[in-house]
Amino acid sequence: MERLLQYVFDGLSFGAIYALLALGLVVVFRGTGHLNFAQGEMAMFCTFIIWQINEWGVPLVFAVLIGMLFGFLLGAGTEATVIRSVAKKSPGGVFVVSIALFLGLNSLASMIWDRSEGYTMKSLFPNKPEDFVRILGAEWRYKYIGVLIVALILMGLLFLLFSKTKFGLAMRSVASNPESARLVGVPSGLVLAASWGIAASMGALSGALVGGINGQITPSLMFSVFIYASAAATLGGLDSPGGAVIAGLLIGVGEQLAAGFAPGWIGQDLKLSVALISIFVVLLVKPSGLFGSLKVERV
Amino acid sequence: MIDVNNLSKRYGRHTAVSDISFKVGKGKIIGFLGPNGAGKTTTMRAISGTIPRSGSVMYDGHDIVSQSAESIVRSGIAHVPQGRGTFSELTVEENLRIGAYVRKDSIESDIERWYKTFPRLEERKNQRAGSLSGGEQQMLAIARALMSRPRLLLCDEPSLGLAPLITQELFAVLKSLNQQDGLSVLLVEQNANLALKVASKVYLLETGQVVASGTAEAIAGDERIRKAYLGG
Repeated sequence: MERLLQYVFDGLSFGAIYALLALGLVVVFRGTGHLNFAQGEMAMFCTFIIWQINEWGVPLVFAVLIGMLFGFLLGAGTEATVIRSVAKKSPGGVFVVSIALFLGLNSLASMIWDRSEGYTMKSLFPNKPEDFVRILGAEWRYKYIGVLIVALILMGLLFLLFSKTKFGLAMRSVASNPESARLVGVPSGLVLAASWGIAASMGALSGALVGGINGQITPSLMFSVFIYASAAATLGGLDSPGGAVIAGLLIGVGEQLAAGFAPGWIGQDLKLSVALISIFVVLLVKPSGLFGSLKVERV
Repeated sequence: MIDVNNLSKRYGRHTAVSDISFKVGKGKIIGFLGPNGAGKTTTMRAISGTIPRSGSVMYDGHDIVSQSAESIVRSGIAHVPQGRGTFSELTVEENLRIGAYVRKDSIESDIERWYKTFPRLEERKNQRAGSLSGGEQQMLAIARALMSRPRLLLCDEPSLGLAPLITQELFAVLKSLNQQDGLSVLLVEQNANLALKVASKVYLLETGQVVASGTAEAIAGDERIRKAYLGG
């Protein structure tokens, strides 16, 4: 029971991080119909920026905020320049460009921050050995609780943006019917750039949270996080932000349970495959994901 | 109100619209008739700025031929596209709200007004637009366009696929908007009899050119034109 609870606690925090990154994927996918394969590397790059700014003496909280702003500009700038010009000519080209971005950002980070053992990243939350609460025998570390709260707050803000603001409505209109969005005067270019910006800035936060939990950052920081996040986005249904969050949390918990309860034959090495296999099964049964919408239209 | 001169649109070597010229006077309903592929829809899209085009489109003394779709709707021209173009994933009310995207003032009274005009939209205001029937979607498409408070409405085949009764209802609304609010309308219709009933002037298009034009009475009364273009 204690162990079960422990895995659930840890899983929820990791899951919240996957959910953040997955939300970024969903925001971009809804706007443009593309999966941004560079989402994880953009997040990694922003995390190094955050580390660097923090290293220069800026308190970590502000460094994270600056990093998120940097992420917004990186995402919006990428969409407005390379992605948009390619998307017009060939939709398949966007795939290639995002792979190129993935590799480019990774090499660039390895070049600038070239220490092979990585760099020590501080956590946003108290991280001493005694910093935990005990609930029903399980330890819930403050840094995990903090990650969960920050991630949930950001998701809440995002949902408010989507559902309650004029800009959110504009974003959803572009996702629903780009041609009609132009006809009612929505500047679709601006909206798409902003979607990429928001996605990258959520990535920056998720990177900072992962770095804080690991205590160490290297250019491969986001590899497995990105795989879990794309799994979460697929499992939730690529066009459903709510689905991405729930699937992200599910995957986080599932990962911890699989690794914890079957340490002998699954353990840390195989847990990634467990997640992917369960997703494979879900998609066989329900191709649009758990919460994805099948397009229904009456004519 | 709008004065179009030598408007052209080419797709590669194919000319969809070739040097079309026409006028829509303030407070008038102008009809565009013609078979499929005559260039009616292309002309509409060229005016609303959704496709690149050449020629001149004078609107309120400015040439808008090189302006973007966004700035054209801002200046008071709204386009109800063929096939309605509603946002299927958004609710009926959200469709109306996004229709007023270019406005900064309060839009609640407008929403009320179009609910009163189309009571069925109010009944379904929280339903996704994609779940509406064809007629309801057409009503929504027109109401959404009107939310921007246009002075000129471009209406592309509003009767397409609708039951005759619903079509009559829609045309009655268009007519009353024209008479009571002074809304100018450019109407594309395949149903010639319908268009001839509401329009004051009619242009007949074929293969991207105006082949005949005149008052609705003159066109309707011209035996030769009726036979050649309007199916008797």
